[in-house]
Amino acid sequence: MTKPLRLLAGGVGAALLLSACMGGTSDDGKDSAAGYDPAATVELTWWTGQTEEAEKVAEALAAEYHTAHPNVTIKTSPGAPTTDDLLTKLSAGFAGGSYPDISYAYGNWAGDLGASGKTQDLTAYVQDPSFKWTEMPEAARTVATANDKVIGIPALVDNLAVIYNKSIFDKAGVAYPTDEWTWEDFRSAAKKLTDPATKTYGTAYSVSGSEDTTWHLWPLLWQNGGKILDGTKPAFNSDAGVTALETLRQMAVDDKSMYLDQTDEKYHPLFNSGRVAMIITGPWALLEIKEAKLSYGVSNLPGVNGDHQTVSGPDLWVLFDHNDANRAGAARDFIKWLTSAQTDAKWNLAVGNLPLRSSEQSTPEFAAYVKEYPGGQKFFDNLANAKQARPTVPGYEVLSRNVGDAIASVLQGKTSSKDALDAAAKKSADAVVN
Amino acid sequence: MALTFAASSHAAVRKASPLGRAVRRSLTGWAFAGPATVLVVGLSLFPAIWAFFISRARWNGISPGVPVGWSNYQRLATDPDMLAAARHTLLLTVLFVPSSIILGIVVAIALNQRIRLIGFYRTCIFVPYVASAAATGILAGFVFNPQFGAANDVLRHLGIPQQQFLESPTQALYVICLIALWGEVGFCTVIYLAALQDIPRELVEAATMDGASRWRVFRHITLPELRPVTVFTAVWQTITAVQLFDLIYTTTRGGPLNSTQTVVYYIYELAFQTQRLGYGAAAAYLLFAVTLMLTIGIIWYSRRRGSEVF
Repeated sequence: MTKPLRLLAGGVGAALLLSACMGGTSDDGKDSAAGYDPAATVELTWWTGQTEEAEKVAEALAAEYHTAHPNVTIKTSPGAPTTDDLLTKLSAGFAGGSYPDISYAYGNWAGDLGASGKTQDLTAYVQDPSFKWTEMPEAARTVATANDKVIGIPALVDNLAVIYNKSIFDKAGVAYPTDEWTWEDFRSAAKKLTDPATKTYGTAYSVSGSEDTTWHLWPLLWQNGGKILDGTKPAFNSDAGVTALETLRQMAVDDKSMYLDQTDEKYHPLFNSGRVAMIITGPWALLEIKEAKLSYGVSNLPGVNGDHQTVSGPDLWVLFDHNDANRAGAARDFIKWLTSAQTDAKWNLAVGNLPLRSSEQSTPEFAAYVKEYPGGQKFFDNLANAKQARPTVPGYEVLSRNVGDAIASVLQGKTSSKDALDAAAKKSADAVVN
Repeated sequence: MALTFAASSHAAVRKASPLGRAVRRSLTGWAFAGPATVLVVGLSLFPAIWAFFISRARWNGISPGVPVGWSNYQRLATDPDMLAAARHTLLLTVLFVPSSIILGIVVAIALNQRIRLIGFYRTCIFVPYVASAAATGILAGFVFNPQFGAANDVLRHLGIPQQQFLESPTQALYVICLIALWGEVGFCTVIYLAALQDIPRELVEAATMDGASRWRVFRHITLPELRPVTVFTAVWQTITAVQLFDLIYTTTRGGPLNSTQTVVYYIYELAFQTQRLGYGAAAAYLLFAVTLMLTIGIIWYSRRRGSEVF
């Protein structure tokens, strides 16, 4: 071979090798646990996505399961240093062919993971009456479903509500928020509670442009009758979207009653130190509020025309297929056990999360949880207000980033709500695909 | 000793056939070059070529990649975020490169004096360069914190209004440039210090004898003698400025309002935050092409001026 020919051959070889690296496996339509033998000896890998205390609880649960089922060994590890890093670890794992049987995943990854072709299809499995699928909140079940296939089981459910600092309200002589509040009530209270002399703000909002910025807008959009996507087309720049963002803009720009956090990380500590009167956040904030010894209350989100719906950010246990019916079946049985009302009370409630299943309300663990976190009951009841879910489509991450940037720029007075949302919709138009 | 050695090696050579000898020689050669070649091919060339194929696909690292031809590159040209990122990078480079060179020359001249404790001063200037940019970024974050930072404390004492620094979309990029300068000036200084000490003493003495003032000596002898080094530092600092990432990551993460999002940071965000590996790889290739052209341009210009450094 002459030199150019040799180079060409090498190049073609490399191209073939490389395109092989980028490929995924397509779904063969067969149930991955068909012919599963429950007595077979299997070893499962479980990436919990948890750290410290929660990871210890997870390991104890895995050991407990092993004692009851000696043929199933579960290798438990956090999987990645932080939950955010799990997606990168998973994609590297797919390329290298070594991925876990079960992994924790953020709900907004579901679309991408579902498109990998490496997840199990649990659609038929969860319909089994013994699984009691409908005990889980609808929003969580929707998020676990990507492209009409159930790819995982909800691991954690939450929602957004208003947490308020009672002493700031008392000092300003403002009535506490109620579940019937409108956004106008919220705005006028925030304005009254803002005091530049003491550097106290009525409320706070993250303008980092991340998902934390974006998903706080969605309940407002839905309450105004808007939609995030229309099919695969961005629809958040409708009149409803503009009204929603305008509601926030008035507080941030006109009233200056909203503390704008550039980082995501400051508004919780500021609330805990009594500088912010109300924040819109989820049950995960309760632990630190408790440690700060604040006297606080929780109420539903303010509403539009009596619609107080909220957004839920469920996380998932995603089950992966390894072309081994015994592993697939054992992974299903373990997750069924882990998310059962009995075990979940020892897991989610023990680490301070909301219970996964409505039936857990009667457990002693739930009573203890509500006693420890007085707002817990409100957040649990508020699950019923989570009527819609964020779309589980590949490309949601891109859309979220664009909307986050738009919100940040509007709240900092750089652009009008309409222009910013239109620009974000235009940028996201080809990001979301089937 | 030498004789014996020569004789024995002759004997060995005579036994082997010409082909065997060629194989052995090339094997010996590869034994030396092999490990390095494997490293370079495996860790630099292979990923670079792979990245090129990725750049022609739509791929999120999870689902199968879809080949899309050149459309990633076409989209780059009209992407407003990419243009903004390019503007920020350009501004950063234009601010950073000349200032680091000028500061480097000034500090080097100051440190080229015979004064007491000169070694200590030189060390002080170089320490920030040795410190990792990540550490520099985190420390600078404390200094420039609008609420509790030392920078605003100083301004308060001087009676100047408080600034938002890294949290203000209009100031953040300049503050980052300042932090980068603090970290990188040590490098320029050391290079210029070495170059200054290489200037032939006779030239300076001759000029002084001819009655040249200190300024004219500097202008007509020192500066021209420093030109090759300046070309080198210009290329080096341009690459540093264009590639600046760790500092931005640890201070602003591209914010506020994306005002510090440079091309490299945008690539990171595309590829690893929003999982658009194909589009990110295309942006990386574009950046590579631009850096390459810039470097070739500077080298071509300097060769024409007669000072070869590369």
